[in-house]
Amino acid sequence: MVTAEAPRSTLPRTVMFSALSAQKEGSSLLSRPASEDQDQGPVFERLSLAYSPCSERYKVGERSFSRQYAHIYAARLMQMRPLLSERAQQKWGSAVLIKRLCDLQTAEQCCIVGTLFKRMELQPSILREISDEHNLLPQPARAKYISETDELILEDELQRIKLEGKIDRDKCVTGSVIAIYGAERNDGKFTVEDFCMADLPPQTPRPVLSSDRFVLLASGLGLGSSHADSMLGLQLLIDMVTGQLGDQGEQSGAANISRVLLAGNLLSQSTQDKDASTKPKYLTKKTQAGSVEAIRLLDELLLQLVASLPVDVMPGQYDPTNYTLPQQPLHRCMFPLSSVYPTLQLASNPHIANIDGVRFLGTSGQNVLDIQKYSSMDSHLEILEETLRLRHLAPTAPDTLGCFPFYQKDPFILEECPHVYFSGNATTFESKLVKGPDGQEVLLVTIPEFSSTQTACLVNYVLLNVSRSASRPSPPTTTRKAR
Amino acid sequence: MTTKHGLITDSFKVVKKARRGAGRKKRSSPPPPQKGTGSQPLEQALNHGQRPRQISSLWFSESETGTVREEELQKHKQFDLDWRFGPCTGISRLQRWERAKLHGLNPPEEIRDLLSQAHTDAEYNQSLWSGYPL
Repeated sequence: MVTAEAPRSTLPRTVMFSALSAQKEGSSLLSRPASEDQDQGPVFERLSLAYSPCSERYKVGERSFSRQYAHIYAARLMQMRPLLSERAQQKWGSAVLIKRLCDLQTAEQCCIVGTLFKRMELQPSILREISDEHNLLPQPARAKYISETDELILEDELQRIKLEGKIDRDKCVTGSVIAIYGAERNDGKFTVEDFCMADLPPQTPRPVLSSDRFVLLASGLGLGSSHADSMLGLQLLIDMVTGQLGDQGEQSGAANISRVLLAGNLLSQSTQDKDASTKPKYLTKKTQAGSVEAIRLLDELLLQLVASLPVDVMPGQYDPTNYTLPQQPLHRCMFPLSSVYPTLQLASNPHIANIDGVRFLGTSGQNVLDIQKYSSMDSHLEILEETLRLRHLAPTAPDTLGCFPFYQKDPFILEECPHVYFSGNATTFESKLVKGPDGQEVLLVTIPEFSSTQTACLVNYVLLNVSRSASRPSPPTTTRKAR
Repeated sequence: MTTKHGLITDSFKVVKKARRGAGRKKRSSPPPPQKGTGSQPLEQALNHGQRPRQISSLWFSESETGTVREEELQKHKQFDLDWRFGPCTGISRLQRWERAKLHGLNPPEEIRDLLSQAHTDAEYNQSLWSGYPL
């Protein structure tokens, strides 16, 4: 049986579907089924809402790779410099000197704006690997690449300078654009006294809506894996959303779910069979790729969903689309059954959507995982908040995370503040309401991986809170209801 | 050298009326590789100090466009090397100009005007380093 409830520690109470059903006079499930000539029971209408995907931003038109990545860094600095200058003046007074690195004078208190670069010893370097003179074996993959010997360097258009002082070196990542207040020392390093980030962008206020409306966020379905543990949970989730589960209370509750958003990793990692690509052709000619069967399964599952409500499908790390960010939407030829329905929306990763006036922005989690590897932060929620404060979705983007060589603008810079900001494929479900300096309110949600946690998130975007929707019986603890 | 430019005697047109410079053949060095747009025999003749009379009227306008072109290309090179507008490799000059305009960096308008006139000339449209690989 599916239960929906709020983690009591952090959030106010939300609508609990099973509580609604308990309030009615006796459970209608215990009554005789209606006979065919009688009324079949109440039909709950799902509201169809205004939806506009803002997808042009992440569509990559002509794919020319004959460019260096310097352009994206230059565009990033060009765009962020005026924003940071403004924030610096707000924080340290309008009389603060904002200088370029070439104009710095020793022992002068001033503010500099630039891109951070963290020189890490343990960062895998392809040049070191293929260099014969070092005779090094390729480094094994590690969980974290930070070490004590890391150095922070600030770069602007012309120069770079080493940083020391009151800046948490382990928390920072390469590619973030920040403003630093301090002075240059005699030995050429810059002493940091304070720093500031671009913080949240401006936000259009949310429309005032009367009834509670929900969006279901799920990610990491992990289809096509060698162990099909999550199939029952997935089917239960779909049945709950389409209103085929539970009594009238549950069904009317499920009718308030206006949309489902699948945030990446619909296929499991085991479909990305690396061995097949390295084996010679004559051995692999007759065998089908692991992803073919998995996509067929996904199509059938989506068919059940799209017949009932609109679905946004975002690709993830293990899905059959391009590797570099922004990942292009999955092609509709892979979904012959479900793409017939107009309710199927194949979205890019990252994805921005305006659902009923509420702006949803999120990724499938690659940006957060990458930052986790190169900084000391472990909690996905903390990293998510950090990217929001930096005003950049993926600061590590060309450096350690694959990215398309944009030249004109950096599309990962947040220009308008979302109301709900999510990232998929986290280890646990976490959420937080963040307030910005100009009155912005953002709900941060880290969507857990469904294949391991059997948990999805129900976001109530009217009240801006979220509850966990678990699809399996859990051992009795203080915060969960066992069924 | 000779295979590229032919025989040294082919390097200038033998014009019957103005053969003053016939004796001066040997002291001039082989003509430096000129841009392909100007008429080759004319420019090579100029290098050798010859002034074929029948195309003297053409000579004035050619040198004018030669220097005007030089100036324009020089302006484009200065635009390419200006650090304020970001890297110049890998994108065309127009794309770079548009990007500078988009971010409010005030690129000079005359570059835009010059670029809109020269439609197909690769030397105008592509950056300074376009001949080199990535």
